[in-house]
Amino acid sequence: MTITLSGTAKTFGDFTAVHPLDLTIPEGSFFALLGASGCGKTTTLRMIAGLEEPTSGSILLGDDDITHLPPHKRPVNTVFQNYALFPHLDVTENIAFGLRRRGVKSVKKQVEEMLDLVQLGDMARRKPRQLSGGQQQRVALARALINRPQVLLLDEPLGALDLKLRRQMQLELKRIQTEVGITFVHVTHDQEEAMTMADSVAVMYGGRVVQLGEPAELYENPRSTFVANFLGTSNLIEAEVDSEGTDEPDELRVHVVGDDATLRLPRARCAAEGVDAGTKVLVGVRPEKISLTRTDGADSASQGGSADGRAGVPEGRNRLTGRITDASYLGVSWQYLVETPACSELTVYEQNVSRDDRLTPGAQVVVHWRPEHTFALDATQDAAAGEEAV
Amino acid sequence: MTAVAPLSPSGRPPTGAADEAASGPGKEPDGAGTGTGTRRSRRRLTPYWLLLPAGLWLAVFFVAPLFYQASTSVQSGSLEEGFRVTWQFSNYTDALGTYGEHFVRSFGYAAVATGLCLLIGYPLAYMIALRAGRWRNLLLVLVIAPFFTSFLIRTLAWKTILSDGGPVVGALGSLHVLDVTSWLGLTADDRVLATPLAVVCGLTYNFLPFMILPLYSSLERIDTSLLEAARDLYAKPATTFRKVTFPLSLPGVVAGTLLTFIPASGDYINAQLLGSPNEQMVGNAIQKQFLNVLDYPTAAAMSFILMALILIMVSVYMRKAGTEELV
Repeated sequence: MTITLSGTAKTFGDFTAVHPLDLTIPEGSFFALLGASGCGKTTTLRMIAGLEEPTSGSILLGDDDITHLPPHKRPVNTVFQNYALFPHLDVTENIAFGLRRRGVKSVKKQVEEMLDLVQLGDMARRKPRQLSGGQQQRVALARALINRPQVLLLDEPLGALDLKLRRQMQLELKRIQTEVGITFVHVTHDQEEAMTMADSVAVMYGGRVVQLGEPAELYENPRSTFVANFLGTSNLIEAEVDSEGTDEPDELRVHVVGDDATLRLPRARCAAEGVDAGTKVLVGVRPEKISLTRTDGADSASQGGSADGRAGVPEGRNRLTGRITDASYLGVSWQYLVETPACSELTVYEQNVSRDDRLTPGAQVVVHWRPEHTFALDATQDAAAGEEAV
Repeated sequence: MTAVAPLSPSGRPPTGAADEAASGPGKEPDGAGTGTGTRRSRRRLTPYWLLLPAGLWLAVFFVAPLFYQASTSVQSGSLEEGFRVTWQFSNYTDALGTYGEHFVRSFGYAAVATGLCLLIGYPLAYMIALRAGRWRNLLLVLVIAPFFTSFLIRTLAWKTILSDGGPVVGALGSLHVLDVTSWLGLTADDRVLATPLAVVCGLTYNFLPFMILPLYSSLERIDTSLLEAARDLYAKPATTFRKVTFPLSLPGVVAGTLLTFIPASGDYINAQLLGSPNEQMVGNAIQKQFLNVLDYPTAAAMSFILMALILIMVSVYMRKAGTEELV
């Protein structure tokens, strides 16, 4: 069932937890609300569950207005952050709780089905405290799903699990969602989790949705520094829009502040408004999009082959020069920090294949990337927003 | 989604460190060598040193008098000739025969007072624990405020409150409450003082905080997300209380009823000050035997009977309530 929030807001005294919010969550989707703690994502979820009443605005479930319906009358169930399993009831009774409250007499068959779905068949008579974190998580899920809710709300459901189990449960949740086909609304502060699981992600910051879209869209084309930094890592470089236009109308040329370099990017990937000549922007590029080449081999392409036979920097790429200050081995990749005149710490991930051994701290390098991997953001915002929140 | 993959190196918390921290505290730090042998044995003795003060106190002021009273309870003789241990177990049967009525009355009054304490105390404890917000601490102080005045003074105050012709009796009389209570045998002759009602009221009043505090602490410990989960799972507010809140507060109910029932059944102040000779409880009888009749063996035997009966009742109750199943 589609959930429609229109102008939904929540204030606690002087504090506005959620600013008027318009949001449509399509039926059958796996929707993630992503943000750091205190961004209003849990409050939004609790308003859908009925555990908080909106200060203004309305919530529609399908065509029904559920804004003021108490939680026990909503066809919506929640998986709570700490699972909130009833400690005095065993697994079976926890799972059957919702059915019993609605007057279903024979719950045995349905409970067994649910136990199978979450693979806990032999735990039926255990008490919650006799289960591991992952098992408790599955019971909480089964307890919600058995009611066949129109919408399942998940409040940081994997937060308490260790990394390996969390990965496993992410896949499991995705599998179950595909199997039962109901709308999942998932609240999380873990950008990786949101990206892995969700069809669409709403990034929240300060009680507002700052960007909404598919995970890849959010990652590749962030529209604010918060999204650029909160989802993965971004290199943001201060630049000014060049006065001279380019040959192509779709392209934008910018001049890096404090460096003698010009960068190009597609006009569509510029989130700043009204980009005239001289407008300040923040130019961004993801670390894994960048390649490193040692300065002495950088122009070999035009010279027709370098001394060690490695390719130089191809034509048409954005390029900056700098010096490697740090190189660390991360297994799947190497992470380099490069100091350039414009940016003291440019992060670069290089895949761990055929690495040039001479890329060590101190080496002079050219960092280069394709113009279409470049994005630009409004320079009036805080360039570090969202960095420390991860 | 290829773009997500390179994130993992930076987004991943250091698992190695987490594992270490998890297994760390459980492990004995071994390999410390023989040098720490004495320190370790000294550490092993620490719990006993900590137990010593309380142990000594109990030995001197509880265990020793208990044995002394146990021997007294099987003595015979008189104050003039002196008492001697003659293994006279008839002290017990005689006491039970003579004062059986007092035992029944004591447990009856204590049970009614405990029930009333639960009825009055539960809503109050619930309110303080779950609804009071910033008033919580003030209300808790008010609950224990009576303790700032002596038990005796407070009970004497009740004597004035319930006195004949006083406002309470007048109000109850005009509301025909007294008609109902006298039909129930709790009051007689349009008066409250010197009736079972007065004694039960006194007991209820005096032991109410002992009911409220454990109830409060168990209600306060309930994770409110459990109540939200119940509401989320289609439970109406009343059902949420019946199926979640109350079962989870049972440890407090058990503790509160024990803390009320046990001292109330041995109490004699309330019966003495608020009752007539017809409301005498076993505590009054023991006091009379010890201090007025000076029949120490009978008094000691009665004390032991009281203790044994309470122990039996409490252990049956604890088994029924099954507290070990609760969290």
